[in-house]
Amino acid sequence: MSDQEKIIEIGDGAAIPDPKDKGLISAWWIALIGTVSLLIILPLVKPDPYARVLSFVPDGILVTFKVTIASISLALVIGLLTGLGRLSKNRFINLIASLYVEVVRGVPLLVQLFYIYFALGRIVRVPDIVAAVIAMSFCYGAYMGEVFRAGIKSIDYGQTEASLSLGFNRRQTMAYVVLPQAWRTILPPVGNEFIALLKDTSLVSILAVADILRRGREYASESFNYFETYTMIALIYLLITLILSKLISNMEHRLSHYERR
Amino acid sequence: MNAADPIIQISHINKYFGSFKALDDVSLDVTLGEKVVVLGPSGSGKSTLLRAINRLETISSGSIIVDGHDLYGPDEDINRIRMELGMVFQSFNLFKHKTVLENLTLAPIKLKKMEKGRAEEMAYALLEKVGIRDRADHYPVQLSGGQQQRVAIARALAMEPKIMLFDEPTSALDPEMIGEVLEVMITLAHEGMTMVVVTHEMGFAREVADQVVFMDDGAIVEQASPDSFFDHPVHARTRLFLDQIL
Amino acid sequence: MLKKLVLILVALSTLCGSAWAETKIIFATDATWPPMEFVNAQKQIVGFSIDFLKAAGKEVGFTPVFKNTAWDGIFAGLAAGKYDAISSSVSITEQRKKAMDFSEPYFTVRQALIVPKSSSAKTLADLKGKKVGGQIGTTGYFAIKAAKGLVPKSYDEIGLAMEDLNVGRIAAVVCDDPVAANYALDKYKDKLKIAAVLKTDKVENYGFAVKKGNKKVLDLLNKGIEAVKAKGIDQQLKKKWIGQ
Repeated sequence: MSDQEKIIEIGDGAAIPDPKDKGLISAWWIALIGTVSLLIILPLVKPDPYARVLSFVPDGILVTFKVTIASISLALVIGLLTGLGRLSKNRFINLIASLYVEVVRGVPLLVQLFYIYFALGRIVRVPDIVAAVIAMSFCYGAYMGEVFRAGIKSIDYGQTEASLSLGFNRRQTMAYVVLPQAWRTILPPVGNEFIALLKDTSLVSILAVADILRRGREYASESFNYFETYTMIALIYLLITLILSKLISNMEHRLSHYERR
Repeated sequence: MNAADPIIQISHINKYFGSFKALDDVSLDVTLGEKVVVLGPSGSGKSTLLRAINRLETISSGSIIVDGHDLYGPDEDINRIRMELGMVFQSFNLFKHKTVLENLTLAPIKLKKMEKGRAEEMAYALLEKVGIRDRADHYPVQLSGGQQQRVAIARALAMEPKIMLFDEPTSALDPEMIGEVLEVMITLAHEGMTMVVVTHEMGFAREVADQVVFMDDGAIVEQASPDSFFDHPVHARTRLFLDQIL
Repeated sequence: MLKKLVLILVALSTLCGSAWAETKIIFATDATWPPMEFVNAQKQIVGFSIDFLKAAGKEVGFTPVFKNTAWDGIFAGLAAGKYDAISSSVSITEQRKKAMDFSEPYFTVRQALIVPKSSSAKTLADLKGKKVGGQIGTTGYFAIKAAKGLVPKSYDEIGLAMEDLNVGRIAAVVCDDPVAANYALDKYKDKLKIAAVLKTDKVENYGFAVKKGNKKVLDLLNKGIEAVKAKGIDQQLKKKWIGQ
């Protein structure tokens, strides 16, 4: 039982709803209903400027999604490699992975974004979205690396020994036995990181990437409707993260099937 | 290789954990079909010895040859050798994310490239043998300890090993479940399987063992047939151990 | 105890005394707009409009205090009463007049098109389908958006747009001509050039912005602007900062 009770705690991102919580009066439902109704009622009651804000940002939502999906995919790959590297007995690989994590953890994301965007810009000519994705995944890859490391370590070493004793090599053991189980432990913090990353993509608006936030700021800077604009922007982000956290919670529930007696 | 040659040949192995000597010049031969039971107080090095046989524990010096393969030979593939060595652990170590059936078929399908249908057929037969065919679709967490350990034995057998290693297979079980696991092991012994068993079950040792090995402080103190071991122990330390346990 | 109290009273009265001596006007300025307002190597906020206000203050009796504020949100801060006025190369537009009051114009500005030295573009029309950058919420950026067929890209600071132009992520930048001159003729003089000054039907002027209805500050500023212009100080400052 004990190894199932291990929880990796990472205090960022939205709270993933408890999969067992089926009641209608949960914080998640209240937030969702509130957000959706505001997003519908406000533009109906006061089309100018609420409806105008809504019609101004859709391409920004698309950009936010693009950056998020691309960054999380890349960050997962980097995270897995980093996590394995940090657990590697090969000193050199271990050192590289640890160094990477140390550097990334010590530099604020915003500074990394500026650095990669402008420093890299002088060396190679990469489009803004690519620079944003590289910076985001570089940063989140390190966080993910720690999540993977903790997740892999949380799997009882007996599982590895059993696999090795059957004749599997280390790589096969990782692929068939450890990682599939680690996923279960890793998913909640990965989900949290996913949501945190989505929110942090708002930082790329600093790099003049036309995401949700920048579209909103452009609208506000022309119309001076700051309150209305940022209300809508906040609601849009909230709606996306609410839906996302529910999806992750459902996935978590499905992945835990083998733990239910 | 001569039929009479030992299938496991352990020669003068030493093992250190830091400055602590876990194995002290241990030598042991096991011939094909032989059942060896290793006894000893906790910390005597008996589990370390067993785990050294499939290199889950590496040794500091000496040599171990299994079925003609040097465990530390430069050209040997340890994973191939391990396929010949089934291992059963104290804490079962069933793959928690796999059903009972999948626990049995995973290695044959992936390592022996066995067809799924054939692997499952064999798995069902093995589950029948250990008496839990009806639990094939359950997950390990849904089984009792005794059932889990029987599945673990079946999982090791699914690779059709030449040798079975048991590392205190009943120590983590509630008393009422020990019998069902020992029963499976006894059946296996009667079928002629080569077995090395680390255990505290004296009854099992007396009934099944061809050779009883008693270890203390990392060294083999006494090695004898069960009758002479239990009835006429030579060493003082053996007598002390038996007095405490029986 | 009594001594302490007296000391505090004395300290308070001196503080109040200096505060009453003359009016302080707090200006928000986005000091990323050289040569109009920017931060120099000594970390002081300097520039044409800074000197202009100091001179105006001397003429009509107020002390300008400058608060470096990010452009994006500078108007929201004025509405929220975080400062008395904005001195940040704000062009007087009809749209903005709805949200705030403006002083008399203190500087006439034109929009300049900056491109890499190698570019042959002469007008915005030559840049169809290309990315053109400007600072968010500026008249330069509005001009890009108004021109058909461009891909407008908004930046928080004009310096970032210039750097992106420099490394080739965008094809051109549009901004006020004094700023354009500062970048294209000085900082990036080997890489960038001013391709053209955009033709507009209306004259574009900078004004100091105050919260709607803040007549007291507005009157004081207008008096100051008048005095500075009358004495020809604005011409001296132009020479000093822009070299015209």
